[in-house]
Formats: sequence, C-alpha cells, structure tokens
Amino acid sequence: MAEKKTKKETASKKKETPKAAVSAKTEKAPAVKAPATEQKKARVGVFICHCGTNIAGSVDIPDVQEYAKSLPNVAFADNYQYMCSTPGQSKIIAAIKENDLTGIVVAACSPRLHEPTFRTATKEGGLNPFRFEMANIREQGSWVHMHDREGATDKAKDAIRIAVAKASLLQDLVPKTVPVEHAAMVVGAGIAGMQAALDLANAGIKTYLIEKNPTIGGRMSQLDKTFPTLDCSQCILTPKMVDVGRAENIDLMTCAEVENVEGYIGNFDVTIRRKARGVLTPAEAEAKGIVGGGCNGCGDCEAVCPVIKPNPFEMGMKPRKAIYIYHPQVVPLIYTIDWDSCIKCGLCVEVCGEKKAIDLEMKDELVKVKVGTAILATGYDLFPIEKKEEWGYKKYENVVTSLEFERLICASGPTGGHLVRPSDGVTPKKVAFLLCAGSRDNTGVGKPYCSRFCCMYSLKHAHQIIEKIPGVQPYIFYMDIRSFGKMYEEFYYRIQDEGAKFMRGRVANVLEDPDTKNLLINAEDTLLNRPIKLEVDMVVLAAAVEPAAETDRTRKLFGVSRSMDGWLLEAHPKLNPCGTTTAGVFLAGVCQGPKDIPDTVASAEGAASAASIPIHKGEVELEPYFAQCIEEKCAGCGMCVNLCPYQALSLVEKEGRTVMQVTEAKCKGCGTCGGFCPGGAIWMQHFATPQIIAQIDAFLIGGAK
Amino acid sequence: MPRTKGYPEALEKKLADTRLYEDERHPEFTKTVEKLSMSIPHMCYQCGTCTASCPSAPRSSYRIRKFVRRALLGLEDEALTDPDLWLCTTCYSCTDRCPRDIAPTDVIMAMRNLAFKRDIIPVNFLKTVQAIYTTGHGVPNNDVNRAARKKLGMNPEPPTTHAFPQYVKGIQKIIDYYELKKNADRIVKEREG
Repeated sequence: MAEKKTKKETASKKKETPKAAVSAKTEKAPAVKAPATEQKKARVGVFICHCGTNIAGSVDIPDVQEYAKSLPNVAFADNYQYMCSTPGQSKIIAAIKENDLTGIVVAACSPRLHEPTFRTATKEGGLNPFRFEMANIREQGSWVHMHDREGATDKAKDAIRIAVAKASLLQDLVPKTVPVEHAAMVVGAGIAGMQAALDLANAGIKTYLIEKNPTIGGRMSQLDKTFPTLDCSQCILTPKMVDVGRAENIDLMTCAEVENVEGYIGNFDVTIRRKARGVLTPAEAEAKGIVGGGCNGCGDCEAVCPVIKPNPFEMGMKPRKAIYIYHPQVVPLIYTIDWDSCIKCGLCVEVCGEKKAIDLEMKDELVKVKVGTAILATGYDLFPIEKKEEWGYKKYENVVTSLEFERLICASGPTGGHLVRPSDGVTPKKVAFLLCAGSRDNTGVGKPYCSRFCCMYSLKHAHQIIEKIPGVQPYIFYMDIRSFGKMYEEFYYRIQDEGAKFMRGRVANVLEDPDTKNLLINAEDTLLNRPIKLEVDMVVLAAAVEPAAETDRTRKLFGVSRSMDGWLLEAHPKLNPCGTTTAGVFLAGVCQGPKDIPDTVASAEGAASAASIPIHKGEVELEPYFAQCIEEKCAGCGMCVNLCPYQALSLVEKEGRTVMQVTEAKCKGCGTCGGFCPGGAIWMQHFATPQIIAQIDAFLIGGAK
Repeated sequence: MPRTKGYPEALEKKLADTRLYEDERHPEFTKTVEKLSMSIPHMCYQCGTCTASCPSAPRSSYRIRKFVRRALLGLEDEALTDPDLWLCTTCYSCTDRCPRDIAPTDVIMAMRNLAFKRDIIPVNFLKTVQAIYTTGHGVPNNDVNRAARKKLGMNPEPPTTHAFPQYVKGIQKIIDYYELKKNADRIVKEREG
C-alpha cells in the first residue's frame, strides 16, 4: 500500500507540472484539465457481468465478487446478468452516487464493443468518463476456458485485480475535438465507388473520386445483363456514370492513383498522382489558353493511329489503338494514350489540329487534397484460373472465363453479341458452365471462400444462350446452387424450366479433342453415383474473384488491415461492415468481400452514410490518449521527434530552453516516445507509467495490500 | 406368391430396409482412419472430383467418393466389407485434385489395413505377399521380361533381389516382424484349403 501511495503522489506531481507550464505558456489551451480533485482516496466500484451464461457458465460469479470486495481501494462490488442493459448501467450510476466512487471497473466482455457504453454510464453517474476501466473476462476468460471453471474463475480474479489497480490511479481526461474537412474521397469508381460518391455529393459534400483506369464504370460496365431481373447492365449503369461526370460536388479524377496519405480522421492530406493521359480535357485546354480546344471524343486520332493493341476492357478480344477509349460510353469521354505502345509518330497530333488536345510530352502530376473521410472501393479481379491446370484455361482455346463470356454475349462486345467459339468462330451448341472454379478450394492454389455471385451469373449465362441460340444445351456443373437473394431462387427455378441441365458434381478435368477443338469433361453425377464423360463445344469457367491488384498498396496507405482471405478488414463483420479500424476510412463494395450488384450498392450507400457523419457533425472527438511533455524534465534532445510514426512531435523554444511539444491531434497515443524518453519526461495520458506499473505489480505480486 | 417365384433371394434384397441407422455409425472408425491415413476425410463435401478423376470408376463399380463418405460417417462394416475397397489402383489422381485437400487414396489404404486386421482381403493380394516373401518382388521377373531386357542389352535380372538373392532374407525379416506372411499363409489356406 505504502509503495502504491508513493507512486500515486509521484504521478500527480508529474501531472501537475506539465499542466501548469502548458496552460501558462502556450497559446493553444490544453484540452486536459488539471486533476484537482483526484487526490482523495481512491474508491473503486467493481461490477461483474454474467453475460447470460456466457460468463456465468464458466466463472463463479459470487466467488469473484467476494474476492473483488477484498481488494484494496474497492469500496463496492456488485454483479448483474447483463451489465450493458439499462438496469445494469443504472447500477453503475446509482453506485457512484451512493458510495462516492472515484473509479469504475466492469468485468465483462472485450472493451471493443461496450467500453463506450460504460464510459457513458460512468459519466452519467457524475464521474469523468475516463475513470472507467474494463476487465475482459469473456473473450480472454470464460470463452477460452469454457471447460475449466476453476481456471476461468481464477483468471477473472486476476483480470479484476489488475483493472482495480489501474482504476485506482485513473485521472480525469477531456477528449479533444478537431474540425472535420468538409470533403470526402472515394478510391475506385466502379459501381460501389460511383454510388458512394453520388450519395456523398448529393448530401452536399465535396467528393474526390479517384479511378486508376481512363473511365469510370468498373466491372459492371463489362457485364451484359444483370441477374435476376435481366436488365442490361450498361443501360442501368450509364445514367449513373453520366450523373457522376456531371455532379458539381464530384471532382472526378481518372487515370489517377493515391500516392500518399497523411493525417487522421477529419484531416487527411492525400497526394494523388494524376498519370499523364497525353490528352487534355476541354477544361485543361482552356486553362492553357487554348480556347475551344481539348478532347471532344471525336475519335479522329484513333482512326489515324497506326498501333494496334488488345483492348483490356474486351478481355483482349477486340483491338484498340495506342490512343484509345475503352468503349463508346466512357465517362469522361476523353481519349488516353497508352505510353507503352505509342511510337510518338505524331499523326494524332496532326489530325487533332486546332483543338490541340494531344500532348505527347505530358508528365504525371501530383495533386494534394484535404479530406475529412475516405472510402475505399477498389473492387476485384478474376483469380488467374489457369493456375488450376486441370480445366485447361489458356491451354484450350474454347475454355473461357465468365468475364470473357460476358463480352462475347454482349451486343456491344467484340462479336456483336453472337456467342462464338474462339477456335473457329462457330456458334456452340453445347456449353458447360463450371462453377466454383477456384472458389471453395483448400488446396492452397485456389481460394477457400465462396465467390458468392458465380452461381447466379452462371444461371444468367445459361438463360442468355438459351435465348440467343436455338437448340443450345447448357450444362451447369455445380456443387451447391447458392441462390439466396431476393427473387434469386425463383430465377433458379426459371432457368431449370428453360432447359438448363444441372449436373451435381465438380469437374475433375477438361481435355481437348485436338481435331475438333471440342472439350471432354470428366465429372461425376454425384446424384446418380456415376462418372460422366461429356463432349461440349465450349467451357465457361466461373472463376473465383480476388482483391484487385493494387488493393494491397492502397490499403497500406490508408492504414487498413486485411482479413485472412485477403479482402479488406471491416471494423466488425456484422455491426460495422463498412467501417475499418482506422477512424475516418470506410469500405464499399467487393474490396471488403465478394458481393453481387445489389449488395455492393447497399454497401456503398452504407459507407457513404457512415463517411458523411463526421463531415456533417463538423468535428470529431479524439480519444485523449496523447503524449504530454513534462517540460521541467525534458532535456530537448529531440530523439523522440524522429521516433514518432505520426510526425506529432516537434522541438520548440520555451523560456530560453528547447523542449518537446506534442501536436495532440496528430498523436495516436502509441506510446513509442513515452517508452523511449531517456529522461522519463513524456507522460502518456491514460497509459501512464505509474498506472501500468501498478497493473504489473497487481498481477505479479497480487497488488499492494 | 407368383411374383417371387424363382427370385426369392433377389427380391428379399430389394425389399430390405436400407435406411441408415445411427448404431451403424462408429465415430472412432473415422478417427482411426484419419490417424492411419494422416488425412481429413471428415472434411469431404462430396463434390465428386475424386470419382471423376478415378481411372477405376468408369470400368468398375468402385466409387471412391462413397468410401470417403463412409469414412466420414464412421460406417465401418459397410466400408470394410465392400469388395470394391480393393479396386483402387492407388494412382493418386483423386489426391491431386481434391479441392478440400483430402488424400482419398490414403483413406482407402487405411481402410484396407483395417480390413486386413479382420481377415478381409482378396486372395490375390495375399499371393502378392507370398511372392514378395519368396522373391522380393510383387511381380517377379519372367521369361518375356528377361528376353526383352537382353534385347535391350541389359542384364536379364534387374539389380534388385533378382540379381542379389542374398538380400531376400532381409525382406523376409521385415515381413515376419509384422507377421504378414504367417497371416497370409493362414488365410490362403482357409480359403483354398
């Protein structure tokens, strides 16, 4: 006990010193008020949650409560079935008043979900909300020691003892609020990014929409029709693309990538690389003094360009020139030069004439913008299905992926919507669709997850060929048909009724007849328990999806994690699917996990709504876990300045001395500087050295009795 | 009853109760098979890739998927008494392609070992044991082979126990340690007299 008191006194001394200095000298008033009343003897209240039987099922609650009462500084102990419920919180509020408590400990779940709940209750009871400490006896206790009641009970006692030690030393803290920039950024302009940007813009927020390709529209613009309604994909998408292009609040940047991100929620400084597209927009031309110039999308340049390359939008099945647009409906309708294939012959410049839209010497440009929040909508690529060698993709000409099929069946595609075999241009009469191609694969080659939309688009593909090719027979090789959405099961019924043959078996391998280029499929009809050998004209692989190639680079810039499967990690899979663990950064669409179009749009609207909240509030509260400089101890060595990962520290002159100063809004409270400072001159609020030492002591030597 | 005339046994088979009863399941069988095979048949999702890859399936009643299912459910008697168990050629095509990364071939091998413990084994497998015991080879050299080897300019006997018969003793020692020959001889005698 004696030792602990000493520490507490030391703590308060440390505390007061920087406060006095700061409030006297600096112009920016510190958000933390001096802990004037803290020195009265600590009186901690302990509340133990049963969490139904989640905790009470493996922890002896009365025993733990008795133990808690015996701990030093504990003035009150209670338990309740659900501490997070209203009656549970009322217990905290009442106990603070009745027992004159100075600190609260709730032993329950992880602080992740309910720390805010109990902080609010602590505040309503009349205490500073930061005088609350949580002991996790569920995730780290009862759940992991479910069959060891004695062990779980002992561990709960340890956790509570440690939490009480800290709660006895907690101090009043006041969160800092920072203003939020009235602008947002959306990275990726597929359907998710477009929808999110439109929502933000319609809510009156300036939105920067960043797209690495020359046009917006993403994967959805490559699709022919959409299930289960069979709307033409382009027909429902292009109006939105036009809206995005026209929206006043949207600053659309195509051929652009995020280069660097600095700052924090409310104040992200983002550097964008605008890659040289070699062609000026009318606005850019005007800025250069070329009146009435810039690209108007006439296409004269394309006609004269002598270089021919495959068009990636058409999955390489249609040619384009070195100066190109993906397709006639692109937004913005501005040509782009492919620098890798341009030979700089200058024919395009000549034919463009007075418009002077083409600049073959254009260089990348770096643009800096400030935004309050950001949404990542980076989408997906197809898994390189040739890695599953048994299905012969890239080995046999008539084995195509589902995206190639979309282009081949699309009226604006390379064949004008007439499905043909790549080997001979003949219309196929027997087509096999291989589902779960690379999905649900635990071999380490494919993806262990379900790609979620392949079942439905394969049903749609079967419908499309039945509709277009008289006498065609689609075979769908499947393991399970996952038709869980609204009107999806009905769609499955319809396609079966239209004549698609559903073969319940995964295809073992595909072989090619070298003469006819027909394909031989080996599978098992698992419902008949008989092997099948089927000759078809064409095979369509419903390839798995994976995060788009650049996702990893982008997510690192924004400090977003990814889950085990490679997709970006949401803050909570059920209750916060659009948020991330970085405040102010949100996820929309497939980058978080495979989604079909309805789910993607819903997710995008959710992300836009979440991203607009801090902007509309105008300010955000930052947790007050800032480092503080104890100026009388600071030697001004500056070693901490370089250590700080957030550039939050700097050296300043004060009263003729060099001391360190913290920019609180930038400080994330990581503790790097506090742990390092050779003079012990840095005080980490809420994680102060005396508080942490008290916790360690409590654990190792049972706390000071 | 005229309908049964001449076919009493077949009809009885057709009318038998073939429902799956819980007491046929032996969870410890699944565990033993997993331990012996060092594989995970309990993770099978019955896609049929194994049967479709199997060179035996199109030529026989052997269905590897069915055996993995039996391993998963613990249907010990049904798996071990099915003569199809011995139709696997151990080519490992199913193991190469299984999307759940199960080794169906090794599951079959484990079940064969368990069947042998119950004296369930075709005689031809036992004759192979006897052949290995006496010559060191499951398929010993023969005159056709010898002629072919000679024609190719090779020693008519390969550099194995055929060329070095003194090492057959070592092989016999190993087989004796597991009492394989003793059991093989006993079972062959019981079956063939």
